[in-house]
Amino acid sequence: MRLDDDIELIDGLPVAYIRSLKAIVISDPHLGYEAAQAGRGIFLPKVNLKSITEALSKALAATGAKTVIVNGDIKNDFSTVAADEFNELYDLAAFLKVKGASLAIVKGNHDNFVDRYRESMGLKIYAEQMAAGGYLLFHGDALPDAVPKGTHTLIMGHEHPAIAVYNSVGKKEKLRCFLTGSYLGARIIVFPAIGYFSTGTEMNVVPEDELLSPVLKRLDMGSMKAIAIGYGATMEFGTIAELRRAASLHM
Amino acid sequence: MIEHLDKPFKDEDSLGTMNPYVREWFTRNFKELTPPQKFSFKLIRDRKSLLIAAPTGSGKTMSAFTSIISHLFDYSLAGKLEDKIYCLYISPLRALNNDIYNNLTRPLEEIYKVIKDEKGVAMIKEGVRKVTIAVRTGDTPQQERRKQLLTPPNILVTTPESLAIMLNSEKLIEKFNSLEYVIVDEIHELANNKRGVHLALSLERLADLIGHNPVRIGLGATLHPLDEAAKFLVGYDKGAPRDCIVVDASWSKELDVTAMSPVKDIISAPEAQLENALYREINSIIKKSKTALIFTNTRSGTERVVFNLKKRFKYGEGDVAAHHGSLSRQSRLDVEDMLKKGALRCVVSSTSLELGVDIGTIDNVIQLGSPKSVTRAVQRIGRAGHSYKAVAKGEMIAMNRDDLVEVSVMLDAARKRHLDAFTVPKNPLDVLSQHIVGMAISRKWNVDEAYNTVRHAYPYADLDKSDFMSLINYLAGNYVGLESRRVYGKIWYDDKTNTIGRRGKLVKVIYMLNLGTIPDEVAVNVFNGTKWVGNIEEEFLARLKQGDVFALGGRLYEFQYAKGTKCYVREATSKSPTIPPWFSEQLPLSYELANEIGEFRAGLAKRILESMKGRRAPLIRKSMKVPKKVDDYLSGLPIDANAKESMYGYFLEQILFAKEVPSNTSILVERTKDIEEGIEYLVFHSLFGRRVNDALSRVIAILLAEELDIDLSIMVNDNGFAIYSKESMGITKKIVEDVVAELGTTDIRSLLRRNIRNTEMMRRKFRHVAARSFMILKNYKGYKINVGRQQVNSQLLLKAVESIDPNFPILKETYREIFDDMMDLPRLEEVVSGIKAGRIKVKFITTKYPSPFSHNIITFGHADVIMMKGKREYLKKLHSLVLKQIAQSR
Repeated sequence: MRLDDDIELIDGLPVAYIRSLKAIVISDPHLGYEAAQAGRGIFLPKVNLKSITEALSKALAATGAKTVIVNGDIKNDFSTVAADEFNELYDLAAFLKVKGASLAIVKGNHDNFVDRYRESMGLKIYAEQMAAGGYLLFHGDALPDAVPKGTHTLIMGHEHPAIAVYNSVGKKEKLRCFLTGSYLGARIIVFPAIGYFSTGTEMNVVPEDELLSPVLKRLDMGSMKAIAIGYGATMEFGTIAELRRAASLHM
Repeated sequence: MIEHLDKPFKDEDSLGTMNPYVREWFTRNFKELTPPQKFSFKLIRDRKSLLIAAPTGSGKTMSAFTSIISHLFDYSLAGKLEDKIYCLYISPLRALNNDIYNNLTRPLEEIYKVIKDEKGVAMIKEGVRKVTIAVRTGDTPQQERRKQLLTPPNILVTTPESLAIMLNSEKLIEKFNSLEYVIVDEIHELANNKRGVHLALSLERLADLIGHNPVRIGLGATLHPLDEAAKFLVGYDKGAPRDCIVVDASWSKELDVTAMSPVKDIISAPEAQLENALYREINSIIKKSKTALIFTNTRSGTERVVFNLKKRFKYGEGDVAAHHGSLSRQSRLDVEDMLKKGALRCVVSSTSLELGVDIGTIDNVIQLGSPKSVTRAVQRIGRAGHSYKAVAKGEMIAMNRDDLVEVSVMLDAARKRHLDAFTVPKNPLDVLSQHIVGMAISRKWNVDEAYNTVRHAYPYADLDKSDFMSLINYLAGNYVGLESRRVYGKIWYDDKTNTIGRRGKLVKVIYMLNLGTIPDEVAVNVFNGTKWVGNIEEEFLARLKQGDVFALGGRLYEFQYAKGTKCYVREATSKSPTIPPWFSEQLPLSYELANEIGEFRAGLAKRILESMKGRRAPLIRKSMKVPKKVDDYLSGLPIDANAKESMYGYFLEQILFAKEVPSNTSILVERTKDIEEGIEYLVFHSLFGRRVNDALSRVIAILLAEELDIDLSIMVNDNGFAIYSKESMGITKKIVEDVVAELGTTDIRSLLRRNIRNTEMMRRKFRHVAARSFMILKNYKGYKINVGRQQVNSQLLLKAVESIDPNFPILKETYREIFDDMMDLPRLEEVVSGIKAGRIKVKFITTKYPSPFSHNIITFGHADVIMMKGKREYLKKLHSLVLKQIAQSR
């Protein structure tokens, strides 16, 4: 689905392509999630990295992008780089190398210590935010530092947005979604998480004061548009205000 | 081989070979041998494995222990008794363990005294020792455990879970090397569930660890089939059951029970009149008894009866008491104590007093409403009359007309000794996971050797090698990459040498802290939007389907969805609840009993039709004379006159109104309308037990929904189910015929699998199975994971497991448990093939108002049988419409 002349949302995937940057943008892969859970006694099969590389494979083939930008939380553990995270990060970097794409990382709140592998894995790392071609990418756990002049689009992750939709008998389903709206006079796009287990927070159900990002607390959530992903398609589902009304009929 | 023994031994044979001091003590204390003892003393003496089925109060415990104690005193007198465990006693009830300990300590002391009195100081020289006994359960203090390790008791009393822990305690297991006897008590509480399967494997592992198979003695109440229970007890060897002798003394107690209706006309009697009559009846029984025991089917029913008895007849706290699972342990113990002392006039219980604990002398048992199974009826009534010689007296009071039919047929079946069958869960992979881990902790195993040991346990006798290997691979962590197996793997598996063993030291801790089969359950908080409206039990939540309407705190809510331990609902738009609040508590009607009710229905309908031949249809009146033919048929049942008249009226109405009486060979499909909201119902009168109906109703609803392309809801009950929709269904005879035809050609299992996938039941059961299989650890590295967290995580797990392998053992087991243990798919398949072959007819009718037989199906959700108000009003309205139509059609 085309969002505008420059941005293409890859159908059915939480992935966007920015033509002018020749870059694919994703957010919140949370590599090493299963290992972190296994450390707590929940032995999830390892499916996260595989589902991410499959999504990237499709997106790279469709777009011919040269760069993959991960807009924060590439890994899961806050404190250190656990062994499994290192392995998965290594595998992801190696996978992209084979595909001929470079990996750029905008650091998120889970991404401490990732700098160590800048050299060995050939990563490009942005500590707070990344500005290029009128886009400002930042993770979203904090407000953006300074918005450079000429910025027309802000891109963030962190929140893992999703929406709850109901069928006629009140059966609920959760779909990951992009959110678009405006903030600081520019357009803002909130990316869904690409992580397999990060199924998301239902933006039309969860009260606003429970949202995580300080950015979302400062803008008009109700007017944001949800673009949902599921069943191999990506499509507009209306505003959060409308979706809230639809949900309240079922609550 | 399993052998049945019907002829008891002569008393001199039973006592003859016994140790003289034990014999002396026995004859001093008991006038005679009880029926089970007349078999067991000699058989155990001859070291035969045996299963004894006998009612409570028949000296069952001593029937198992006397010969063993005698044998141990033989050792003692020969100076050969050592600090070793010779006899292991396992019971599922901790309370029973303490009873056993107390009940055996006295005889052991007394026998010792008999010896001492005769031998005097010589016994010191001869090295005669006391036979010792100890209890080891989760409650046993650390100090006592250490003592047991230093000086093991000769008889150890324990639970299945504690046994599983002991199997992996290297030092303790050595003390079992001379084990000669294993007693499994309350086998009816074990053979039909995963806890029992767990024990069956433990017993095989024990035999392997000590290098020999001890004599096994099983004790049970009324149960059927006994051969299955015997196989469960003794296990298999080389593909055939080991030897076991079955002694059935369960019918040594005579039953004297009647089914009754509190009033002549159970349907149109005013509420107050019915209640007055009910409590008058109960009170008259209490009055003529020293102690009466009343069974209701739900805990709320129990509380209501206690409240009413106190209010109506001024009974005090010391006269009437409640006893059920929701009460604290202490208050239950207090009640049991008062019962033993004979201090109570009456105790009211739901299921907790059905079996097990000794409750003193009860002269009369009253059962309110149907207990849903013949076996249960026999066990409950059997609580009356303490001695095995006494006649057990009881009354079953029906609260509606379906109930009346049910209890009458049930009592007839009990007299004919037609019991419902239990089934042993076959090849549950989650229980097996735990034991493979336990086995690997003990030592290295060749995989084939481990597989063969597992198949010694009856539930796994026909375990597929491929299932076993899929578990080995799962436990070895082969579903993740090599580098992560250190964390994921509980065992290692070397395919070159075909060997398994434990992986790391932590695994033993994991095993010890997480073993067992009883799932963690918690109360679920119910929210209407963000407003908390009450609590429900998790088991009840698991039964809810989207759109189900239930009552909570006096209001009706429609179930939306659940997350962790929160359940979200909204105000119900409909006035009809679809599922009663006690649904998860109520035991399901058994398949066997449903079948007998079906036969009875056909028989009674036939007699009524014959009696009407060539005459004008009889008038339905408050009081009706039952025609001779019909009366003769009904007189074959143990019922009172009110009951006869009520049943005749009920069937006559159905015949006059609907011209059809559904039975075991005829499913009636009735298209009708609800009178209050005009909802269209499609009622299936299918009498195959609730577990079959649960599955059948889902299959029919899926097929019908596909045909009609609308969303459908279901109400399931024991006598059938109703399908309805918020939209117009437009059912025709053709559509029903098409759906029935499709039923015969559909792959039911895969259809249901898809349907079950997104239900709360699947999500909850998957968590239980994942936790039993050690895929989610409840206790890990010092952390306890609460149920809510487990549930949320298990949903992620479910999704991930499905994506890697739809036949992953944990997933496979979840579906098996739902299909075979909760529902009854094997029997559903029988019913479907019966329909295909024409043995079971399907008839379609359209009625203006619901026919009499469907009244209890469509009002099922309304309320409890003992709190009838709303439901009764509605039923009466339905009934009067039926009568009007019958009158018009004359």
